[in-house]
Amino acid sequence: MKTRTPDSHDFPTRRYDLVKEFVIALAVISLLTVGLAAVFSSPDEKAITMAGWAKAAPNDVVATAASELAGTSGSATYGPPYNHNGPGQMMLGVPMQRWGGVRVPVDSAGLVLDPLRGATSDQAARTALTAWSAATPAQQTAWATAYGDALAKVPDGDPAKVAAGDYGPVPALTSAFLALASSGGLEGTLTASGTFYGIDATRSLLLLSDGAYLEDNARASNLGGDQWGMMNEFGNYPGQPWMWLYTFWYQVKPFSTSDNADALVWGLMALLTLGLMFLPFLPGLRSIPRWIPVHRLIWRRTVTHVKPVP
Amino acid sequence: MAPSSILAVVDVATGHYLHWGVIQISLTNLIVIVVMVVVFVLALLLPFPGGHDDGGDQ
Repeated sequence: MKTRTPDSHDFPTRRYDLVKEFVIALAVISLLTVGLAAVFSSPDEKAITMAGWAKAAPNDVVATAASELAGTSGSATYGPPYNHNGPGQMMLGVPMQRWGGVRVPVDSAGLVLDPLRGATSDQAARTALTAWSAATPAQQTAWATAYGDALAKVPDGDPAKVAAGDYGPVPALTSAFLALASSGGLEGTLTASGTFYGIDATRSLLLLSDGAYLEDNARASNLGGDQWGMMNEFGNYPGQPWMWLYTFWYQVKPFSTSDNADALVWGLMALLTLGLMFLPFLPGLRSIPRWIPVHRLIWRRTVTHVKPVP
Repeated sequence: MAPSSILAVVDVATGHYLHWGVIQISLTNLIVIVVMVVVFVLALLLPFPGGHDDGGDQ
């Protein structure tokens, strides 16, 4: 049976001022935004500093410095975009991060040695730096790995309780690094490196995230990845509830137990977004409005007046 | 500081959270989501202001 498209004049019409609605909505939302911000403000949680880290968790600073020198830290073994020491995130076997390449090369030992070279006037530290530079890479790694292992064996990773061993200049370097961090001399040294404006915080953030202090702080505020942290805010402030679906996948298998969760969740969300974009072309899904006719509630007064198509 | 005061400070710093299986959500986020749903339902059900002349201007 042949049907024809109904004439637009068959439908009822009403006057509607779209500009008026837009202006009213803009004014109301602006007032609400400014008013609520003035009353509640935003969480003013102080940023973590290197000095704060050194004061609160000095043993963590020493252990992190040793792992950077040994090349065993999280960032040192991460792979692209920082180095070639790991496969990076893969999606269904596709090495997406490797394809991106090493675009932000970071030498993990440099995170410790560069600030020391530039700042310390301590003679023992200078001697240790000279001894480190004179050693072969294999010797450097052996020293730092042995010291890192020894730190892991003592209670609380206390450097003072480490058993004697062949650690070379590593204890002196990590001790000087802790002293530099405690004095506040580490602030900005990593952030400023390599860029004209000194606003690239990649290296300082990598160093912080290689330690346990940052993660412990995040988890204490329910901001961990497996705590739905993506949609949370510090304290009792509302967070980002619209991120619920993105962070949901991180809580369930196989994503919660996968090393490639970031790539897999990104891929799944990209797929779901494409599905939303092309919903009108997807059989079954495009029929949902017929099964759940919410639009009939919205247009309930109007649809009853539509003339039937002859 | 009294023990109860210490607990109050810790509570404010960590926020109030609800746990249900894998679901963990802050009370504040839950309130925001419930308010959004309520506003959506009200927008569906409440009559449009000044909408008494519906179907009128043909």
